[in-house]
Amino acid sequence: MEWILILGKAFWCGFGAVGFGILFNVPPRTLFALWVGGAIGGFLKFSLLQLSAGVVFASFVGASFIGILSIPIAHFRHVPPMIFSIPSVIPLIPGVFAYRTMLGLIKLTGSIGPDYSQVIADTVNNGVKTLFIIMSLAVGVAVPMHLMRKESVKNIRLKPKAAHD
Amino acid sequence: MEEATELGSLLLDVGVSLLQSGASCSRIRITMRRFATAYHYDAHISIGPKSISLTLNDEQEQPVFTGVHSTPAQGVNFKIISGISRLSWDTVEHKLSLQQVRNELNRLLSLPHYPRWVILFFVSLAGSAFCFSFGGKAIEMMITFGATFFGLFIRQEALKKKFNSNICVYAGSLAAALFAGAFIKAGVNINLEHAFATSVLFLIPGVPLINCFTDLIDGNTLNGLVRGMNAIIISLAIALGLLTAMLIYQLQ
Repeated sequence: MEWILILGKAFWCGFGAVGFGILFNVPPRTLFALWVGGAIGGFLKFSLLQLSAGVVFASFVGASFIGILSIPIAHFRHVPPMIFSIPSVIPLIPGVFAYRTMLGLIKLTGSIGPDYSQVIADTVNNGVKTLFIIMSLAVGVAVPMHLMRKESVKNIRLKPKAAHD
Repeated sequence: MEEATELGSLLLDVGVSLLQSGASCSRIRITMRRFATAYHYDAHISIGPKSISLTLNDEQEQPVFTGVHSTPAQGVNFKIISGISRLSWDTVEHKLSLQQVRNELNRLLSLPHYPRWVILFFVSLAGSAFCFSFGGKAIEMMITFGATFFGLFIRQEALKKKFNSNICVYAGSLAAALFAGAFIKAGVNINLEHAFATSVLFLIPGVPLINCFTDLIDGNTLNGLVRGMNAIIISLAIALGLLTAMLIYQLQ
C-alpha cells in the first residue's frame, strides 16, 4: 500500500516539475523530459524516506540523480542541462519545513513561557533541515556537471565513438 | 574595427539577455567567449548583479572594444537561455554572419511565453501536486489549486502594473493565503499546514536559490551572494503575505 502511495506521489511530483517548467517558459520539447525527471526525483526521495533514510539524504539522492540525468537529456533535447534540472528538483523543495520554521520564529518573538525551549528546539530543527535540503538540492544538481570537468555537455562523449557533439 | 564594435555590442546583448533570463555566471561567460572565439576575438568579461562589461582583444592582444550594458529586471525565461545556447553552437559550426546572429537573437527575444491560461492552469496543478506529495487529501489539493490560481493571477496583474517585484510576490502570497484561509474560516475540516504551506509554493525563488549555489561553487562569490540575498528577500515577502492573512483571519 505504501508503495502505491509513493508511486502516486512520484506521479504528481512530475506535474510539479512541468508546472514550474511552464512558469519558467522552457521549450515545449523538454516538457515530457521534465515530467520524467520530476517523477524520478520524487520516487527516489519518497522511497528512501520509506526505507527510513533521513530527509536530507533522500533529497540529495533525488537531486543528484536529476543532475546526472540532465547530462544525457541536454544532449538529446539540445538544451543546457539547467533547463532540465532546475524545474525537476523544485518538487523536492521542503515547503512544509520552511513554513514550520517561519511559524516557529514568530512564536519565538512572543513572551517566554514553559514551552519556550521546546519551540526553540523545533524551530532550529526545521530551519536546519530546510537549509540543508536546499543546499543538497543545489549541490546535487550542480556537481555532476563539474565532475565531468568539461565546459559544455556537448564536449562530453556519451558513446565511445560519437562522431560529433 | 567596425566589426569589433558590432560584435561587442551583440555579445553584451547576448550576455544581458542570459543574465535577466536566469543563467548562472559561468554559463554567461562560456557562451559569450564561445561567440567571441568564433570570430577570432578574445573576450574579457565582468558580470555584475545587473550589468555586464566586456573588453574584446584582437589576435594581436590589442583591446579593440570596451563597453557595458545593464539589464532591466525581468522574469526567468529558459526559452531564451536554450535558444542562445543553440545559436552559439550554430555560430561556431556554420560560421554565421554577425547580422544573422543579430536577427536570430531578436527573434528569440520576441518569442511569446506560454498562453496565460496555460501558465495559470499548470502552475496551479503543480501546487496541488506539492500538496499531495506533502500528504494532502483531495479537498486540500483542490483548495491549493484555487489558491495558487488566484495568487498567481494577482501576481501577474501586479507585475503588469510594474510594481516592485517583491511587492508583487507579497501580493501573490497574500492573495493565495487569503483564498486558502477562507475555507478554514468557513469551517471546512482541513489541515491548516497542508493548505497554507503549499498554496504559496508557486512563489518560491527556485532559480535564484540554485544559481546562488552554482555561482558560489564556481567561485563567482559576489554574484552568488547577491542571488542568495535576493532569494532571502523573496522568501521574506512570501512569509509576510502568509502572516498578514493569518492576522486577518486570526489563525494560529
